[in-house]
Amino acid sequence: MKMIRKIKYLLPIAFILVASCSKQLDINVDPNNPQNLSESKLLPRIERYLGYSLSIGGQTVDGDQQVGGLSEILSVYTHQLTTREDPDQYGATGGSYYLQGSWNGLYKDVLMNLKIIIDKGTEAGNLKYVGIAKILKAFTYSQLVDVFGDVPFSEASQLEDQVYNAKFDKGSEIYPQLFTLIDEGISDLSNTEALNLSEPDADDVIYKGNVDNWIKAANTLKLKLYTQIRLVQDVSSDVNKLLTEGNLISSASESFVIPFGPNASTDDRNSGYGDYFASQRGHYISPWFYEILKGYNPNINTGIEDPRLPYYIYNQRGADQATESNAQTEYREGGFITIYFGSVGQYRDQTQQNNMSLLGIYPVGGKYDDGKGGNASANSGTGAAPYRLITYADRLYLEAELMNTGVISGDARAKFEEAVDESFKQVDYIITGFVKPTQTVPELYSNPATADYIDAILAKYDAGNTAKKLEYIMTQKWLSSYGGSVDQYTDYRRTGYPIFFDPRDPSMAPGGRVQPPVDGDPFNPNKPSVPVQLNRNYPQSLPWYQTELETNASAPSQKTDPSTYKVFWRP
Amino acid sequence: MTSSGDGIPLPGVSIIVTGTTQGTTTDGSGNYSLLVPAEATSLTFRYIGYVSQEIKIAGKSIFNVSLVEDAAQLNEVVVTAMGIQRNSKEVGYAITQVNPKDVLQISEPDMLKGLQGKAAGVDIRTSQGTPGAATRIQIRGNSSFYGNNEPLIVVDGIPFNNDQVTTSSQTSGGSAYGSGISNLDPNDIESMNILKGSAAAALYGSRASNGAVIITTKSGNAKRSSRGQEITFRSSVSMENIANLPKYQNSYGAGSQFNYSNSNGSWGPAFRDLDSIPAWPDYKAAYPELFPSDNIAYVAHPDNVKDLFNTGMVYENSLTFNGGNEKTAFSLTASQLNHNGYVPNSAFDRTNISVGGSTKLDNGLNIRANVAYTSSKQKGGFFGENQVDGTASQFARSLFLSRDWDLNLPYQDKEGNNLTPLGAGQFDNPLWSAYNNTATTNETRLVASTHLDYKINEWWQLDLNGGTNVSFLNRREVYEISSRAAQGLGSLTLDERRHSEIEATFLSTFTPKISDDFTLKGIVGFNYNQRTVNREGQTGNRFIERGTYNLINTEQSIFDNDYYSRRRLMGLFGDVTLGYKDYAFLTVTGRNDWSSTLPYESRSYFYPSISGSFVFTDAFNIKNDILDFGNIRLGYAKVGRDTDPYNLFRIFEITPNFLGIPGGRISPTSFDPNLKPEFSNEFEVGTRLSFLQSRIEVDFTYYNKNSTDLLAGIQMPPSTGFDELFTNFGKINNRGTEIELIVRPIVNTDFNWEVRGAFTQNKNIVKELKEGTTRIPLAGVLTGISPYLEAGMPYGYLRGTRSMRDDDGNLLINPNTGGLIEDPNEGYIGNPNPKYKLGITNRLSYKGFTLVALFDMTKGGDMYSVTNSSLLGRGVTMDSEDRETNMVIKGVYGDATTGQPILDANGNKIPNQTRLTVNDLYFSPNATLGQTFGINTASEWNIYDATVYRLREVSIGYTFPKSWISKTPMGSLTLSITGRNLWYIAPNFPKYSHFDPEVGSYGSTNVQGIELSAAPTTKRFGFNLTATF
Repeated sequence: MKMIRKIKYLLPIAFILVASCSKQLDINVDPNNPQNLSESKLLPRIERYLGYSLSIGGQTVDGDQQVGGLSEILSVYTHQLTTREDPDQYGATGGSYYLQGSWNGLYKDVLMNLKIIIDKGTEAGNLKYVGIAKILKAFTYSQLVDVFGDVPFSEASQLEDQVYNAKFDKGSEIYPQLFTLIDEGISDLSNTEALNLSEPDADDVIYKGNVDNWIKAANTLKLKLYTQIRLVQDVSSDVNKLLTEGNLISSASESFVIPFGPNASTDDRNSGYGDYFASQRGHYISPWFYEILKGYNPNINTGIEDPRLPYYIYNQRGADQATESNAQTEYREGGFITIYFGSVGQYRDQTQQNNMSLLGIYPVGGKYDDGKGGNASANSGTGAAPYRLITYADRLYLEAELMNTGVISGDARAKFEEAVDESFKQVDYIITGFVKPTQTVPELYSNPATADYIDAILAKYDAGNTAKKLEYIMTQKWLSSYGGSVDQYTDYRRTGYPIFFDPRDPSMAPGGRVQPPVDGDPFNPNKPSVPVQLNRNYPQSLPWYQTELETNASAPSQKTDPSTYKVFWRP
Repeated sequence: MTSSGDGIPLPGVSIIVTGTTQGTTTDGSGNYSLLVPAEATSLTFRYIGYVSQEIKIAGKSIFNVSLVEDAAQLNEVVVTAMGIQRNSKEVGYAITQVNPKDVLQISEPDMLKGLQGKAAGVDIRTSQGTPGAATRIQIRGNSSFYGNNEPLIVVDGIPFNNDQVTTSSQTSGGSAYGSGISNLDPNDIESMNILKGSAAAALYGSRASNGAVIITTKSGNAKRSSRGQEITFRSSVSMENIANLPKYQNSYGAGSQFNYSNSNGSWGPAFRDLDSIPAWPDYKAAYPELFPSDNIAYVAHPDNVKDLFNTGMVYENSLTFNGGNEKTAFSLTASQLNHNGYVPNSAFDRTNISVGGSTKLDNGLNIRANVAYTSSKQKGGFFGENQVDGTASQFARSLFLSRDWDLNLPYQDKEGNNLTPLGAGQFDNPLWSAYNNTATTNETRLVASTHLDYKINEWWQLDLNGGTNVSFLNRREVYEISSRAAQGLGSLTLDERRHSEIEATFLSTFTPKISDDFTLKGIVGFNYNQRTVNREGQTGNRFIERGTYNLINTEQSIFDNDYYSRRRLMGLFGDVTLGYKDYAFLTVTGRNDWSSTLPYESRSYFYPSISGSFVFTDAFNIKNDILDFGNIRLGYAKVGRDTDPYNLFRIFEITPNFLGIPGGRISPTSFDPNLKPEFSNEFEVGTRLSFLQSRIEVDFTYYNKNSTDLLAGIQMPPSTGFDELFTNFGKINNRGTEIELIVRPIVNTDFNWEVRGAFTQNKNIVKELKEGTTRIPLAGVLTGISPYLEAGMPYGYLRGTRSMRDDDGNLLINPNTGGLIEDPNEGYIGNPNPKYKLGITNRLSYKGFTLVALFDMTKGGDMYSVTNSSLLGRGVTMDSEDRETNMVIKGVYGDATTGQPILDANGNKIPNQTRLTVNDLYFSPNATLGQTFGINTASEWNIYDATVYRLREVSIGYTFPKSWISKTPMGSLTLSITGRNLWYIAPNFPKYSHFDPEVGSYGSTNVQGIELSAAPTTKRFGFNLTATF
């Protein structure tokens, strides 16, 4: 029993242990992550991810996040690029990596975080942030509707309110709410009574907190959306009101663009630049696009060479350089090397890593083509080209279209000329203002060839009837949009212009074959024609992201044939 | 009396004149003498832990008997949860004791791999064939969706953290990371008990819901050896070679459709048809002097793959000192392991020192304490899917080199840039990669534990056990300038992790004597556990100058993580065992946990277990020549489990700056603030039978385990704004049988033959997910293939792309290409869980010789294999050598858009007649509309049944007779030679790939059945020596 007495001293120790239990267990507050982030910390990342989700290419950013943009697919659908991947022959599926990147990016990185700004900012009275957030939200949803048709809207971003399965709202019901949202955004921005203890500044990477520019962007967005629905709704008075008020994007510097930067202390490059350092390059330039730039297309711009070529396309081979290992190419003209849309040719799948032509300095911040060739590398360019949401030139094209189609009155030709003029100025503006190349790049607009080109185009325009004139407007807009293809996809489905390559059209591919420039390859003359095919009709929208359908109990089943699934603005 | 095998004298063996009570026991040197009545015909020798032997007297007067150790150890003391020792027959659940000798000196430096085929119910899966790569151990399946499904490993009462620290994704460019257990010195292991079920592990609670492995070390349990003091020296040296080198064709070189091009595939012209090809451009540019002509000979390089690999070596040396007197004992083990793999510049080195002592104080207090120090270094390259951009798998092309590539040319240019025949950054030269792209992991681990026990009186004992296990990991992952990874500019990733665990357990054991028939043992205990993790990671991109691998030498620096977490778990538990007449036993336990990781309202939770054992042979006095022991076990247990720290609150994340502006986002995981613990309910029934005086012993167990309210993140539709919601949901079931069988056809003094079998079968089915959720990915692997969780389906089944079929199951063929059409909807393509596993060990001993051969097999289990799809698709093995012919895929013509068969004028389906070249058959002519069977096809065609039969271990040993070494200071000397993985066959893989499916790309994680160009397995021969002094 002597021992028991000794043991009793242990009992209080055990008791203290138990008694301090509760305190011991209250250690579960996460010390690694903040429980709050202010609007100014959320906004820059939202704007950045909006850019990623729409642009060409994809990459891993922030250590482990995979982003990918809609233009990766849509640049093929709008015949600016070609590929060996599934967007070829309009084959993108709901499981596509780029749909994953863009759908996730838009709903999670953009819309969810916008919701937090709107909720938090409204409560705190930081209405400038709220206004910007509403405009960005409206823009984002309009792009989703334009590309997919019906999408989750009214019940989206509400997991924290236990809404796990957001229903898919009709595009036609979403659009009117977007106009309201834009108006709310404008009024929040102009609200002078708001507390606005915190105001956007450099953290707003788009406009650096410039409220006037945001309002102009919002109004121009409305102009764009009205134009897009003009076939199903009379928008004349709305458009006229906007134009009368005149508070629209009115210069290149007011353009609504998401800037990207170089690979400096962080990697801020446009994802479309990725092919410069990719170990397996995959973005070919569409021969259709190239031939229109060259003036080879018998239907449009015939005989007029576009001086933007060296800004648009970088050729890794000089015109008189052999390909690496003398590899055969499917399409070569001088230094320009690519593959066809819908190709089943024998050289389609040849490795062209250091032969193929790449996106140039203007679309992705790549290399200006000085004609000397040279293998692309991570250091060829800066990659700092912005993603253009709505530029001043775009606004002018919208007006030209509205005039041409009689929605509003005005001198369509003058507007068209202004638009093309602005498109050329825009190239210089993007290069000097954003890309900031290390190589010497001549100014485009002051090049006499530019004025000649515009004159020649206008002469053709003048010779056409109203429909042909519209084709000229839309074709120039398409050429100008190169680098981002979401709105081009919408414009094409609305207007039918520009005319795209169709392997099933006997005038474009007689006998299912297309002929590359016969002696375009100095090393392998007498280039054989290339068999092409197309097994699908033109998709009127993209398939929904498959994971959304599989995880969302309220989701419709996947579109079996996207060529029959029209967005509401298309009668 | 000696012990068979090591020849050590056995004191205390009982020798009884058969059929009487007359007998004696051996003395400390194993000697005995006994007066035998004239009518006696035989003597029976019995010793706990050994097989009893009966020997006919037959007029002899001297019996030098050696007893054989009884693996099943029917009456042996086993170590159960919380280190509580019990007699095995009173235990109502399955326990397997592993003899540490079985995992030593078998040319296998990885202790877990050494367990393969030896314990029923234990599933061991390996990963990469390079040194130090993780091994996964799993008992009775996965009972959690995403959590750690490995058992709790407890060493000397302190949990041994077995995490695999993953720095980079193993899908794209991670290394062959090891797991913590590789830092445990097998030479220091004294005993290992595997507690398989929840009933066994119920006292450990939360952390042992997947079973527990209880290890006691020599240093942690220092005892005086039977010889007073002893020094044991063990030394082994083994040679290893790549086990599965495919059989290559050497008739065709690079190109496609019999035309030469400088490409990956060996589908070019026959070597007999073409003399020369243009010199490889990068080589010619780098070494113009080596290529005086523009052309080089077009010839096969039959050994170009084989020459990429070395003969690896494993050296292992250890010394154990043991000594003391009646009151105090001391033990020291020091070991050194050096393993250089068959892949150049891959290695795993480990140094261990463990010291322990025990003493009995005059006041009756027993004290034991030990410290173990380990330092290890693992070095190796990178793996993963070779097509992912921005990464560089060392095995991207290693096994599929074009047959005309000469990799004996320099692997780098004069500046040190990576050189390959193909150029253009498609892959890194494997040899260049071995020396320039390296992942080096240094880990230091310290384990310290103390144990005090004190007997207050005859029926009351107190135990206090406490200690810590701390590990420091430091890793550097380097991609040198010119690698295809890191944009060709080089990168360095640094990962520093410190993990520390503190554990203390207090036990109060009551063993009152209540009556002659009944025994009672009661235990009340308290357990305290704290785990702390600190981790910092940083990546530097763009080396300023090549060859210096630190962050200072990089242009861009990014913080990957900076993380701290701490969790605490406390448990109060009780355990009561009631025994009746030494043949019926009932154990009831209960434990209440308090966890810091759960919300206040639910952080306290209780769970009970009940189990019983009934020795019916004793109860009904069945003791005959046929059946000599038999019991029935029944057990039921419920075990609760908490979650990881910080899973309760809405958080935001800071992400790297954009254009110099700081920013962040809401965390893509939303946490349910009302989490509850998850529970497993398990029922098990078993029996252990011994026949013909232990000539045949069998142990059979069936179990059925349901785990509910699992804590996991459930994937949410992206439109909710989140990736996942972390909450309680779902149910998962594991059912299976475990059989251990021992047959001893021959038992006698000189010659013994023992056969042991271990059979493991488990069915792991997901029963429920959250309502409205059909399936969730277990992990995102690659587009077209990922493991999934889905109600009614096996855990982690493989889901991916398939080819379109008509309603009758005919493949639909695209008439334009003659190829298969990819179905836009993904579906089930494989189940990575094996149907069963079987291991059979034969042990023959004759005098000093022993021969051990372990044969094992895994039946079923599917594997997605990039190695095989690449071997076929690149046309390099003899499987595709016969190619000067055309093939037609069996199927009917179909319409890619509608997914329906094309019908002829009479409405009949049209059989496919479109011919394909053999080249097209393995390399899809079109990635969506003309798929075939190798590269660029639906994932279903790259799935194989991974059934494999294997001769895993062979060893021949000789223990020198005492008389030979009596003049030396040696007490015993054993030499052996071992062979490992000498033969295997995996019949369902392409014949000439000679593929060994015992690889995986995800180490010890839950993702299994996916192989993305993994490093093949090894074959080893070794020579071993054990001497005691």
